[in-house]
Amino acid sequence: MNIVVCMKQVPDTETKIRLKEGNGGIQTDGVKWIINPYCEFAVEEALRIRERNGGQGTVTLVCMGPDRAVESIRTALAMGVDKAIHLNDPLFEGSDNFGVAKILARAIQTIPHDIILCGKQAVDDDASQVPQILAEQLNIPHVMVVEKMEVDVANKKVTTSRRIEGGAKEVLEVPLPAVFGADKGMNEPRYASLPGIMKAKSKEVKKVTAADLGLKPEEIGVAAAKVKIQAYSLPPERQAGKKIEGGDPAQVAHELAKWLREEARVI
Amino acid sequence: MSFESIVFTLILLVSFAAFGYSAKKLISFLRLGKSEERFDHLAKRVRDVLTMVLGQSRLFREPLAGLMHFAIFWGFLVITIGTLEMMIQGIYPPFSLHFLGRIYSVLLFTQDLFAAFVALAVLYAFYRRYVSRPKRLQVHKEAQWDATLILLLIFTLMVSLFTLNGAEMARGSDLHAGAKPVSRAIAALFSALSPNALAVWSRASWWVHMLTVLGFLNYLPFSKHLHIMAAAPNVFFQTSRPKGALKAMNLEDESVTTFGVSKITDFSWKQLLDTYSCTECGRCTAACPANITGKLLSPRAIITQMRDALLEQGPTLLKQQKGGTLTSEEQELVNKTVPASWITEQELWACTTCRACVTECPVGIEHIDHIVDMRRYLTLMEGKISPEAQTALRNIENNSNPWGIGADTRADWAKGLDVPILSQVECGEVDVLYWVGCSGSFDQRNKKISVALTQIMKKAGVRFGILGTEEKCSGDSPRRLGNEYLAQTLMKENVATLNKYKFKKVVTACPHCFNTIKNEYPQFGGNYEVVHHSQFIAQLVKEGRLSVTAGKEISATTYHDSCYLGRHNDVYEAPRDVVKSVANGAFVETRRSRDKGFCCGAGGGRMWMEEKEGKRVNIERTEELLETGAKTIATACPFCMTMINDGVRAKAKEEEVRVLDISELLANSLL
Repeated sequence: MNIVVCMKQVPDTETKIRLKEGNGGIQTDGVKWIINPYCEFAVEEALRIRERNGGQGTVTLVCMGPDRAVESIRTALAMGVDKAIHLNDPLFEGSDNFGVAKILARAIQTIPHDIILCGKQAVDDDASQVPQILAEQLNIPHVMVVEKMEVDVANKKVTTSRRIEGGAKEVLEVPLPAVFGADKGMNEPRYASLPGIMKAKSKEVKKVTAADLGLKPEEIGVAAAKVKIQAYSLPPERQAGKKIEGGDPAQVAHELAKWLREEARVI
Repeated sequence: MSFESIVFTLILLVSFAAFGYSAKKLISFLRLGKSEERFDHLAKRVRDVLTMVLGQSRLFREPLAGLMHFAIFWGFLVITIGTLEMMIQGIYPPFSLHFLGRIYSVLLFTQDLFAAFVALAVLYAFYRRYVSRPKRLQVHKEAQWDATLILLLIFTLMVSLFTLNGAEMARGSDLHAGAKPVSRAIAALFSALSPNALAVWSRASWWVHMLTVLGFLNYLPFSKHLHIMAAAPNVFFQTSRPKGALKAMNLEDESVTTFGVSKITDFSWKQLLDTYSCTECGRCTAACPANITGKLLSPRAIITQMRDALLEQGPTLLKQQKGGTLTSEEQELVNKTVPASWITEQELWACTTCRACVTECPVGIEHIDHIVDMRRYLTLMEGKISPEAQTALRNIENNSNPWGIGADTRADWAKGLDVPILSQVECGEVDVLYWVGCSGSFDQRNKKISVALTQIMKKAGVRFGILGTEEKCSGDSPRRLGNEYLAQTLMKENVATLNKYKFKKVVTACPHCFNTIKNEYPQFGGNYEVVHHSQFIAQLVKEGRLSVTAGKEISATTYHDSCYLGRHNDVYEAPRDVVKSVANGAFVETRRSRDKGFCCGAGGGRMWMEEKEGKRVNIERTEELLETGAKTIATACPFCMTMINDGVRAKAKEEEVRVLDISELLANSLL
């Protein structure tokens, strides 16, 4: 069983986002970078699938990102991932979701893959696009927002369960290879052991460039992006809370309704 | 040689040989442990033996029980001289120590008197074990049996000594009758007996006494009473580390493949010696906040369970060490780990590292080290740590604080207060480096303490600065949660930051940061004068650098001792001085205070963990603080503040009782 996990490095959710001058995106200095939490569920699930399978199989991490992404790659390796492919090339920068999926697909095509696990979305742009496009590119099925996976190794299929509207659960059976988008609740990611951290230092991290994948500059990055970013802006600063005073509940309710309608404009 | 002497000599030889065999086995088990340097600081070690062994200092923490043990201990020491004399007489009857002259008379007198003391003490011990039955002596059947047998043996020794002396005296064959007042009284009881009967009484008593001594000697290695051999060396070999410091793990050595302690062979020989020294007196467990609030953890059980593991696995481990082939059953036995087969994770994680157990232990057992060593294994090797604690560790990794609040907001509490940040202070030099800590930087309630302390330092004209966003978690919680790797990373990073700047001392309002920076940073090249804010403020008041309206805090005030300030660092007076400087006499002590203080429940990383087992420690403590009738509860630790505050709210007393940090009390009274 060959398991591939796609991982994205994102700013920690607590990081204070500041914008660059002009329209240059967010300031990355002083940002604490972490593994996208949904990708972490994917990593953990990959490790658990292998463990349930008697330790048989290889877990390969594929991560696109600049040099700084290596730190997150090592964290995944410390958790128990076997090896990693680091898609690192300035030409990749500015790729949109389609471009990222194309690059990932190209890389995954070069290695054996039965199960491809992704986070259902990355908490930076929350686009939730790449896993599906990746599946299309590889011409294989995909299931998103997966909460539970049962792998039938012998018959090369996976039974997934996911939450859908109305509190219902949807159970799907998918033939492999396929792409799965991990949701919260799938598992509780492990805390890397110290021997794991030590071992991670000597595990293979293969740097792969656009040229290695046979991608031309015009096919990727900003040049090929179908989605162009027009502008970045920060959300409005949170206002202080408003307290409606007064002893008469009816009066208070009236004022609240008035405020909600006229000021907040929500009713 | 008479027939009797020959028989005795043979019995003596067999007894000593048997004891030697048992002792050798026990020592060979100790050798299964890892090496550890415990011969440094010899003067301190000798001092410890003088106070703790000869002076029995810890035992007197319970005055009556202490006196009882003191009598038995010293009685044992003096009477043993007589016992040795009797042994030699058994082989060669004419032998006597009377050549010592007057000293001999004094010796006999002391022995006679102490024998009586011991007998009385044993009776009192029986009374405690069977009548008054303090909770710590309510033990399982085998332990009760063991204790009873020991007491009976000691009592038999004393009674036979008196009947021997009494009979001899009544026969008129005791040349030193004058030196033995108690025996003389016994002799009066024998006066009616015939000389033949007296001779029989004398020989019978002698034999009962000697056989009991030898039986006792050979029972020791299989009993909790082994402490009479192991306790003195155990006290001698106590750690020379500062109280609050945990030992540093070597994480650089790449040949090491296992971290922390799981197998009995992972413990050091001193940790194993601890298990031989334990007399199961239960003083540790009686003081343990986890145990008192109904949790499974019992520090005594930790030690006895370690001993069980050692004695069960010892023979097989030795066989394995010698290259013997193990049967599958034996293999299964040696594969067992202590924090799985003998001690549960539940017990290990309930510990708040409050040091009450270590402080009470009369024989110098180091419970916290054992518990943290096993936690290290669980965390570093197995990742077996509660999800909440794991979240705290991840938060510290990502944002260098347990709450996971953005690291770039660490200095936000100081906005508008004009607090110098060291990286922005010209020439980077101040008198006081104010270490704010995570609580003081991120926790809403505790940020107010940072503001109060800032106000005080400004008022006193102290030239101080903070590290701002350069400051990181001190490493206290990760270290005590067993994550030595993260702790060392933080400590090394903080040392590198601190070493960039020039300052005279570090002042902090957090006893956990205080303890770690003061006692543990030297392990990583950080040597600073570290002062807790209670000490610093007390000093400012004493020097007259703060004008305070004494008596402003007219409501009755009590003070809750922080374990890491008190027991771990012996700071008891300074916070009280600060409180008293404003409370103007309306100060009440809480029942359990100072070195007998009761933990708030947040130490040892427990601050970040759920507490679902038994009663909550903070509730127990808060109830006790409320019992004093105080309207103000003063704390000197941000964790205590959180826990006691929660406790007061849980008891719905927040309208009547306020919880204030000592710095807030003082800041409120500044002129």
